[in-house]
Amino acid sequence: MSAYDLQINGQTYTIEAEREMPLLWVLRDLLGLTGTKFSCGAGLCGSCTVLIDDEPVRSCVTLVENATGKSITTIEGLSPDGSHPLQKAWIEERVTQCGYCQPGQIMNAAALLMKNPDPSDADIDKAMRDVLCRCGTYQRIRSAIHRAVQEA
Amino acid sequence: MKTNLNRRDFLKLTGLAGGGMVIAIYLEGCSPGTDAPTVILVTPDATVAPDATATPQPPFAWEADIYLKLDKQGILTFTAFRSEMGQGIRTALAMLAAEELNIPWSSVRIVQADADSRYGDQLTGGSTSIYSYYDAMRLAGAAAREVLLQAAALAWEVDPAQCSTEAGFVIHPDGAQKTSYGDLAEAAAKVGRPAQTQLKDPSQFTIVGTPLGHWDAPKMVTGQAVYGLDVRLPNMLFAAIARCPVFNGSFTSYDDAEARAIPGVKDVVELEDRIAVVAENSWAAIRGRDALKITWDEGTNGTTDSQEMMVQAKSNMRREKKGGLLEADYEMPYEAHATMEPMNCTAHFHDGVCEVWAPTQSPQDVKQAVSRVTGLLPSKIPVHVPLIGGGFGRRLQTDYAEEAALLSQAIAAPVQVVWTRSDDLQHDFYHPMSFQYAYIPLDKVAIPPIRVANGAGVPTGAWRSVQEFTRAYSEQSFIDEMALAMKRDLLDLRRELYQDDDRALGVINLAAEKSNWGESLPARQGRGMAYFATFGVTYVAHVAEVSVEENGNIRVDRVVCAVDCGSVVNPDNVAAQMQGGIAFGLTAALKAEATIKNGRVQQTNFHDYPILRMDEMPLVEVYIVPSNRRSSGIGEMGVPPIAPAVANAVYAATGKRIRHIPIRPKDLRA
Repeated sequence: MSAYDLQINGQTYTIEAEREMPLLWVLRDLLGLTGTKFSCGAGLCGSCTVLIDDEPVRSCVTLVENATGKSITTIEGLSPDGSHPLQKAWIEERVTQCGYCQPGQIMNAAALLMKNPDPSDADIDKAMRDVLCRCGTYQRIRSAIHRAVQEA
Repeated sequence: MKTNLNRRDFLKLTGLAGGGMVIAIYLEGCSPGTDAPTVILVTPDATVAPDATATPQPPFAWEADIYLKLDKQGILTFTAFRSEMGQGIRTALAMLAAEELNIPWSSVRIVQADADSRYGDQLTGGSTSIYSYYDAMRLAGAAAREVLLQAAALAWEVDPAQCSTEAGFVIHPDGAQKTSYGDLAEAAAKVGRPAQTQLKDPSQFTIVGTPLGHWDAPKMVTGQAVYGLDVRLPNMLFAAIARCPVFNGSFTSYDDAEARAIPGVKDVVELEDRIAVVAENSWAAIRGRDALKITWDEGTNGTTDSQEMMVQAKSNMRREKKGGLLEADYEMPYEAHATMEPMNCTAHFHDGVCEVWAPTQSPQDVKQAVSRVTGLLPSKIPVHVPLIGGGFGRRLQTDYAEEAALLSQAIAAPVQVVWTRSDDLQHDFYHPMSFQYAYIPLDKVAIPPIRVANGAGVPTGAWRSVQEFTRAYSEQSFIDEMALAMKRDLLDLRRELYQDDDRALGVINLAAEKSNWGESLPARQGRGMAYFATFGVTYVAHVAEVSVEENGNIRVDRVVCAVDCGSVVNPDNVAAQMQGGIAFGLTAALKAEATIKNGRVQQTNFHDYPILRMDEMPLVEVYIVPSNRRSSGIGEMGVPPIAPAVANAVYAATGKRIRHIPIRPKDLRA
């Protein structure tokens, strides 16, 4: 066990964990930040996506020791009040069904828009194809990303 | 808790079988099920129900007041009693009550009911919730509105029949004065049951029939929504469980030394045929579980082989002997549910009570199952239902809840049992594999008979649209094969087959029109149609447009969907469920299957159980047939026609008839 300082959503958290512990479980089980979701545990579905220094990463395969000294943003910290253009667009486009994958979808889309402020459908497909949704909300996710661009 | 016994703040209502109303008034600070000094005004029979022939009553007695609460701020709290797994039922049920109550949607809050037989059967499956409760929810809202009207009329000393309501207010007969529902809540609680309950004419609807997003969406997009895996209790432990990889197997021995040495692991506990590793966090529990060295007792299923099953089913199939037949065989594999939220459950056994937080489609079944395994009376097992990260039928089972309850009982601590993705894929209750034989005399125009043979030795269960997916696949594929053999136009033959069914014809014609059926497409592109009335209540026709590359890669470019589900509660949600049903069906049609070898499911994660991705999602257009008929279900109905529509489109594009799913690129290489 080692102590780690983590910068999450603008706050510093000090935790004790095994160095191989994935960030996902630090967030969910040690810090109670349950907005980041567990689904595949192997970096295959994107439900656990968070931003580390504005890059989208799969927190289920990111070791806690590799997340220290960096700025971590989870769905809880994307905006103080759900007012991020993507969050608003997700509501407007009525994207959510079960909603479980959507924090990962939104965080992955947020990273996309930081790099590419006006992505085409093809850009969106390429960036978002690794975040899985069993409910099949993809068409609306695409629309919501376009809407967020317009309303940002 | 402060309780002012003189203030009666909550008005609660419900419809009774036969159209009656019970109005119960609860004192502030009390809730149903406590020993609150409630006042019950009963009326079993007199209130007005809609035409009983048009509106079948739910098949149970409604006994208590459990749906609606109105507080003094005018906020309506609606208690949803069916499980939300993405199909939008919490929102839809509340819309119906709010509509008749005439309260703005922004004043509605939704909470989730525990397992409670007062709600009737809470089993959420078969796309039945709206079908069963459309009128009941309207009645509840209408009765509440009537009580508020009477309370206002009493205060104003006017005839309630001369008063009206509008967006959370009762309007005085003079048209000028008005009082808010919130201000009337206290007085309304003293009004007796309404002698009459007036339902709106549907033409007056302002909420029902409008496109609304799910009420839970704002919490979902901010990470605040609580799913089963998000339940957190003080001092809660986490557990992962080793289950025999062969169905119904057990273990003979195990070595847990390495597991116990992992930091954070607290205990290793035998649970009948399984072994649980309990830890301070999920990761330690999973690592500990994976570190167990177990000798399995495979039991009698250690040679189960799905490929062999298909061969057997084919050779055992009883075939027609006479000549002059068109015949075809179709093959469908086992399919997993692969909900994005893996199975899980949280239980807290204490003081002779086992409290359960189960992301389940059937909380009452969970209560019974936990009672069976723990020996507790059902009354000692409160079952709470968090949001569900995908159900699709998997969460009609109770295995995950039994594990959590048994484990909590064993360790006398609150515990969350976490399933990994491989646990979830390998210990599912699968959509059954099937070998299907269709035949018809070549001179006969009729829906073809189909014989279905399934495998054995594998747990199976409800999977979004259940046997309708199986039947629609072979039936609607074979109808295209019939048309080709009979040299008939594909659309004309379908019209003839369904000529006596207006609703079938309605969706078939609408889908054909909107998809430009008959217009030519470039080479290696094709259109395919399929139609199915899932559970006989909701009529759906899909036209799929596919492109097949030279290397066999299949892309579904577009799906035009026509749906007749009777009266529509939330048209946007109908469209969402059709889109979702199509995506779900496409995963089975083109991508994923569960195979079993040596008694073991071979797939472990999304790399070998691949579900549809964003760049594979077709553009889906949904057209809803306007209808005043009884509202039917939508959750499953988009699924069955999509696989045959794609198979038919692939034939149109390539001239190759593929009679199995998933259709793979290797099947189509030019």
